[in-house]
Amino acid sequence: MSTAGVKRDIKVVIIGDACVGKTTFIKRYIEGQFTENTETLGACFYLKQWGPHNIAIWDTAGEERFSGLNSFYCRDAAAAIVAYDITNPESFQRLHERYIPLLDAARDEFLLVVTGMKLDLDQKSKLRVPSEEGEDFSVRLNHDRLKDKERFAKPFFETSSKTGQGVDEVFEYIFQTLLTHGKPLSPQKSIVDLEGAPPQREKPTCC
Amino acid sequence: MIAACAKKKAVQVYVVTEEKNNIHQRSCNTRVTDDLVDGFCMCVAMETQYILVNYETGDVRDLYPISSPERKPFVSRIGKEFLLPGPGIGVFVTPAAISERPPVKWAEDVNGVGFLYPYVVAMDTEFLTIHSILDQKQKQAIPFQNGCIIGDYEGKLFVASNKDVYGLIPLPVEKQVQALLTDRQVDEALSLAMNFRQAGLSKEKFQKMYTNIQQQGGFIKFGEHKLDEAKELFIRGRLDVRELICLFPDLLPSSSYFSRAVPLLHDYADVNQIVHGDAERLRECKEFLVGFLEEVRDLDASTGYRMEVDTALLKLYAASDPKKLNNFLTIENRCSLAESLEALGSQGCYHAQGILYKLHRDHEKAMNIWMRIQDQELVDSSFPGLDFIVEFLAKLSDHELVWRYVEWCLQKDPELTVKIFTERPEDEPPTERMRPDTIIDYLHAYPTAVIRYLEHLVFQKKLEKETYHTHLAVLYLSEVLKLRENPSTKAETLNLARSKLRHMLQFSNLYRVQVILSKVKETDMYAECAVLYGKLEEHDRALRILVHKLQDYGAAENYCDINSKGRDLTYRKRLFQILLGVYLDPMEGKKDSLLAPAISLLNSQTADFDTVRVLQLIPDSWSVGLVRQFLRHSVETNMHLARTRKIQNSLSRNENLQVKYHMMRQRREPVYLNEERLCQVCNQTFNEPKFVRYPNGVITHTHCARNKTICPITGKLFSIGKEAS
Ligand SMILES: Nc1nc2c(ncn2[C@@H]2O[C@H](COP(=O)(O)OP(=O)(O)O)[C@@H](O)[C@H]2O)c(=O)[nH]1
Ligand SMILES: [Mg+2]
Repeated sequence: MSTAGVKRDIKVVIIGDACVGKTTFIKRYIEGQFTENTETLGACFYLKQWGPHNIAIWDTAGEERFSGLNSFYCRDAAAAIVAYDITNPESFQRLHERYIPLLDAARDEFLLVVTGMKLDLDQKSKLRVPSEEGEDFSVRLNHDRLKDKERFAKPFFETSSKTGQGVDEVFEYIFQTLLTHGKPLSPQKSIVDLEGAPPQREKPTCC
Repeated sequence: MIAACAKKKAVQVYVVTEEKNNIHQRSCNTRVTDDLVDGFCMCVAMETQYILVNYETGDVRDLYPISSPERKPFVSRIGKEFLLPGPGIGVFVTPAAISERPPVKWAEDVNGVGFLYPYVVAMDTEFLTIHSILDQKQKQAIPFQNGCIIGDYEGKLFVASNKDVYGLIPLPVEKQVQALLTDRQVDEALSLAMNFRQAGLSKEKFQKMYTNIQQQGGFIKFGEHKLDEAKELFIRGRLDVRELICLFPDLLPSSSYFSRAVPLLHDYADVNQIVHGDAERLRECKEFLVGFLEEVRDLDASTGYRMEVDTALLKLYAASDPKKLNNFLTIENRCSLAESLEALGSQGCYHAQGILYKLHRDHEKAMNIWMRIQDQELVDSSFPGLDFIVEFLAKLSDHELVWRYVEWCLQKDPELTVKIFTERPEDEPPTERMRPDTIIDYLHAYPTAVIRYLEHLVFQKKLEKETYHTHLAVLYLSEVLKLRENPSTKAETLNLARSKLRHMLQFSNLYRVQVILSKVKETDMYAECAVLYGKLEEHDRALRILVHKLQDYGAAENYCDINSKGRDLTYRKRLFQILLGVYLDPMEGKKDSLLAPAISLLNSQTADFDTVRVLQLIPDSWSVGLVRQFLRHSVETNMHLARTRKIQNSLSRNENLQVKYHMMRQRREPVYLNEERLCQVCNQTFNEPKFVRYPNGVITHTHCARNKTICPITGKLFSIGKEAS
């Protein structure tokens, strides 16, 4: 996975508690199969071609000790998949408490897609996060975006990486929303204002 | 506010203070020395977090908090990026304050980092761990106790413990690559090598190394039975195909000078070490080799060892695919003869052996093999049969050799054998051995063969030689006679034979009619007889046979038509007249029995008559009603003819006039009369405008021109009415 020098059009991140199935979810989308994977260290990313667009999908680590880094890795993202385990209401609770605040650095038009994971375990589990709660949450999170665009489907999905149910739909929703309904959001200006100097990855023209 | 300042030529010290809170900051500068690749950026480790400072604009951007304050934070430069420690990971940060690479995983207690493209060396209390920035994976770990300083200086890496300083020298690329290949990490080895090109290796040296890696990698993949990947690598690495061929026992011809490249590209003795007796896998490997050789055959990669490639292909086909084998042998190839023959023989591909001999122009050996297959001494189901041999002989230009096999072929199938002679190439130069007479003599014992051959000469080649025509006619005739003698002959067969004979007799004008006639006359073959009389122009006889013996009036009319082809109308009219005469001849047959055919002949569209002579012939007893249609038709035709002639006549006259007019216009020129002009007879001047001009231009007084038709000067005679003036 050589990643240097890749030009990307948009960045999508996935956040949520450890073990809700974030890495599995992304691998399901990229590789098309369910993988029993190992833990995620800090962060990891995948590239996806969508039409003419390059999309960088960043996977983050849910563990407490990486939380400081997560907001750094989420920087510049155009959308976030806000993931919880449907069978674990606590993971849903923590989204609001711990993970949404990480995204403060992100801009206002930020798209947050609330995504429940492990839908296939839904029947076996006694506990379940009700779909309405997830849906309400998604509406609240995307208040600005949704208020004048009633026709948009709600940014809420329940998925299973095991069966593949709903996985592609999440990404399709994001790309459709960001790349076709409006222009893709231009990257946020970095602190390094080079006053019209060439983009960051080109060789600087200093002496 | 944080202020940063850089003095380029002075000592590189940066003071970072925050006025408001007045906190003392420990700074770890990023060696912003002369090589300010990142331009205006400085990455600073503060007590609680890392920040990125643009010291030109003074912009500050938070990166992330430092989680374990007891550990010494640090910042290192990786090309144009920074590398900072996180909890058990190394975080890449670009000058834009974001990350474009996933973090590297390392120990919790890393306290320094050195960089040597593309490797990051991280030092913790017990190890130096080496990671690639390309895939973020750990590549190596070196035990190193109590390390306290690590750094890269001018492309060299140094580490220091409490007591000693060491230089860290990377293995040469080749060694690193080789180590990866030993571990069967082909993709890694290739990408490592590719990255070293960026690190600056001469183009040629790199290319050589890279193709070598591709070749070795190809064999590794081959060993792992990843055949598609292997093929790709072999082709891109421009593998000497013999390296692959020689993996398969007995495929490389012994005449090849090949020996494996040193150092070896792989350590397999042969393919059995790869498939371990698995027959299915061996088959796949061979199939792979076939595909590979077929592909490579037309590429430059096989130049110089086409012999090896072709021989190997032939052996492989022989063992598995007879159809492809025979196809392969029809195109140009460079197989080694001896080896190929042996391989083909051992696989029972005898027909292919023959083809191979033929390709090497050893026609005798080729024929020997094919004859043995045909005689079922050898068994090869792919042999197409006698047709094939005949076709081969028909194309063989060594005529002496051809003759050696003719007898053998004739015994198998005389009619087929004739094709040896009838289907010879158009452009073959004629030789004594292939003269038609020689051939006819030879075929003598096989009448069917002779007939075929003569038919070829007469009908296809259209040779106009009496003997051939007579010979063919005689053979046809004797065939018919033979059939007639045999009572069990079917009518159909006989009719066919007779119509062939008749066609020949009618078609040709060259055979000796008397020879045939003398034989036919002894039989009741009237139709043939009629044709023959026709050839002798004894039309009356011929027609009498047709009319009286065969009562075939249509044939009689047809006879007149056919026999007048190419003759003038009078001849044609005469023929029809004869036929009419036969019909009306009161001596033969019953009187008036042929009235109907006579009338229908008179009224026929085909027939042509001289009306006057017909009228003389018609018996007086006939009523006008009987010949009414004929008469009307004759009158109409004659009238039409006469009128047409008149029109033609007038048109011609008119044309003649036009031509004359044009001729005169061409010749016209004025005659000038003045005092100096003298009459050419009396030499006096002309006193009046009257004068005479002769066609030859002589000018005289009217009274001096005594005779209009004779020139008075030259005595030339002019014809009257023609060129008179
Ligand atoms: N049954 C089921 N298990 C899942 C699903 N997604 C993930 N898992 C399991 O949940 C565990 C945690 O997954 P992982 O992707 O590592 O979670 P992360 O820490 O959020 O990246 C793993 O054992 C996965 O096999 C799912 O859709 N269905
Ligand atoms: Mg994970």
